[in-house]
Amino acid sequence: MSKRRLLSVLLLTTALLATFSLVSAQDEIQISFWHAMSGSRGEVVQELVDEFNETHPGIEVVAEFSGSYADTLTKALAAVRAGEPPHIVQVYEVGTRAMLDSGAILPVAEVSGGAFDPASFVAPIVNYYSAGGELQCMPFNSSTAMLYYNKDMFAAAGLDPDQPPTTFQEVYDMSRQIMDAGVAQGGISFGWPAWILEQMYAKHDQLLANEDGGRSALATEVYLNNEFGVAVLSEWQRWADDGVLIYGGREYSANDPFIAGEFAMLAQSTSSLAGIESNAPFEVGTAFLPRLEGYDGIGNNVIGGGCLWALAGHDEAENDAMWQFFSFLSETPQSVAWHKGTGYFPSTLEAVDALEAEGWFEENPNFLTAFDQILAGEDTVAAQGVLLGDFVTIRDIVGAAIEESVVNGVDPQEALDAATAEINQLLEDYKSLNE
Amino acid sequence: MRDYIFPNRFLPYLLIAPSALLVIVFFIVPAIQSLQLSFYRVNALSGRQLYVGFENFTRLLTSSDYIQSLTTTGAFIAVVVIFGLSISLAIAVGASLPLRGFGVYRTLLIWPYAVSPAITGAIWALIMDPNIGAITNALESIGINFDYRGNSTHAVIFISAAATWKILGYNIVFFLAGLRNIPRDVVEAAGLDGANAWTRFWRIRFPLLSPIAFFLLIMNTLYAAFETFGLIDITTHGGPGRATNLLIYKLYSDGFKTQNLLGSASAQSVLLLVFVVVLTVIQARTAGKRAFYR
Repeated sequence: MSKRRLLSVLLLTTALLATFSLVSAQDEIQISFWHAMSGSRGEVVQELVDEFNETHPGIEVVAEFSGSYADTLTKALAAVRAGEPPHIVQVYEVGTRAMLDSGAILPVAEVSGGAFDPASFVAPIVNYYSAGGELQCMPFNSSTAMLYYNKDMFAAAGLDPDQPPTTFQEVYDMSRQIMDAGVAQGGISFGWPAWILEQMYAKHDQLLANEDGGRSALATEVYLNNEFGVAVLSEWQRWADDGVLIYGGREYSANDPFIAGEFAMLAQSTSSLAGIESNAPFEVGTAFLPRLEGYDGIGNNVIGGGCLWALAGHDEAENDAMWQFFSFLSETPQSVAWHKGTGYFPSTLEAVDALEAEGWFEENPNFLTAFDQILAGEDTVAAQGVLLGDFVTIRDIVGAAIEESVVNGVDPQEALDAATAEINQLLEDYKSLNE
Repeated sequence: MRDYIFPNRFLPYLLIAPSALLVIVFFIVPAIQSLQLSFYRVNALSGRQLYVGFENFTRLLTSSDYIQSLTTTGAFIAVVVIFGLSISLAIAVGASLPLRGFGVYRTLLIWPYAVSPAITGAIWALIMDPNIGAITNALESIGINFDYRGNSTHAVIFISAAATWKILGYNIVFFLAGLRNIPRDVVEAAGLDGANAWTRFWRIRFPLLSPIAFFLLIMNTLYAAFETFGLIDITTHGGPGRATNLLIYKLYSDGFKTQNLLGSASAQSVLLLVFVVVLTVIQARTAGKRAFYR
């Protein structure tokens, strides 16, 4: 075969391929889906997308990993400004306010054309991502915080391993018993302390910010330095002073020492469950987050994780394709596969029932704790959790204030006063830029 | 000596054009933009801007956080410069002795400089990890419970030590070169006159090294002020509390992690530049005047 002949064959093939892709581009609706799931989670996302594409001829969802949550959010809004919005973007819970204020979104209720039925979803999840009484984005990967504890240590210290603490005082007393018995160096540690503090507000039905927690209008004031906030932080400071609380950083760095047995309890995101269970050389127990005595309000845990947002600026057929993809993801088999593959909540009640029916929770009782916890709460305004502008910065400020108190011994009232002033300033600024 | 005349009057401009372009695009234009941004309140996500005059500056200069960050940074610079210069001078003097294997360990001494600040952070975070760090465990056996995550003092010591270690290699190279350039006859003559090693060092070699020491003083100051953000980002994130929230790290986290503090971060970069210029001028007026140039 001559060189020239080879070349012409190559050219012909290229031309043919180009024609095919042109044809397919005309026939298929392409939906771009930007997400922030890396590693094994990213693989599960891709599997779901592949399955959707196979079963839905005419629609091609193109999933693209676009970096961390923060990167994904920034890129998506930059693309909106450039006039080339993706169709679907996954945004973490702290980005909710930013998305609502971006003016670039299409609420899920609108995408579905009225077909969306909120009653089939787990209520606290729908509540978190609702504004103005309407669900704004499609809940995808949801988590919350719970209490992990080392059952072996409880037994070794003469405590009942099936009776985890339910109140702050019990956390303290049990920790002291464990420490006095020489079983562990300390009692408890936290992951994401600023988020745990938010959880405390929601759980005790204490409003954290004005304007219904930033849901009816942009919040301009937080109530971090009120009596409740100071009471919680003072307790934590007392624990730290007595060696009960071992401070474990702002994210996941407390997980390793918990697994290594340096303390007996850990308040952490439910998304750490799989990792902790597979690495811990002891029996892991899970429980609801403890309550603070003297505050009887019943609220609920706050949802964290991510949500899928539909962006505006696409035609009718594309919106319909997005809705088909959303409903596919929330169908029971997919929901179940997602939960098993990642540990995130399935978002629908039907999926929870299906998991229960197949005995999944009996084999994995710790996965049930998270559901029981959010289903045990009341859906009040405070329990919905707050939506704040520039939430990432606010979490950082709260995280620093908690550290000032539990690590550096600053008076909780003083630390929270300073944080509140700083946050209120940020919120005012945010408002001035979004009116 | 006469100036070299280019055959074509445009050629020299053409030759400097690439570097000039780089400097303009990557330094001059962004610097002007951040000066401009420092007068605005900006929403980084939506792109909305609001002119606020000097508000960013007045807020910073009256904020206790910023003042704390400023004083921490001042102390940090002082520690890194003092320890960085004195330790590396001692090592360089030791390394300049005619010993066997000179070439090998001289190269090894320079290694830390080739490591990026982020990698420095990763290495130090590992060896000083509160739970599994090798040095932490060694310290624990002599009764010191080192925890840079849970103890502010430890955190400050930790980043100062890591930053100092990182700059040692750079300083040693310059000191070694400086020591080699000192004429042997001067030192030997002093020796014949009865000066002991101590006197010879402080009276002859150190004054002859002083221009290099002054240069390093400026470079180390710049390093401590500007180049330590990677180290902090990998290890302490400015915590615990705000213990290690140095100016450069605060600038980064306000500028890139928040939604509406871009204007404030720009103002911080302007202020940081002013502070460092002032510091350098002071150093030039004091230490620079005492440097001995042959």
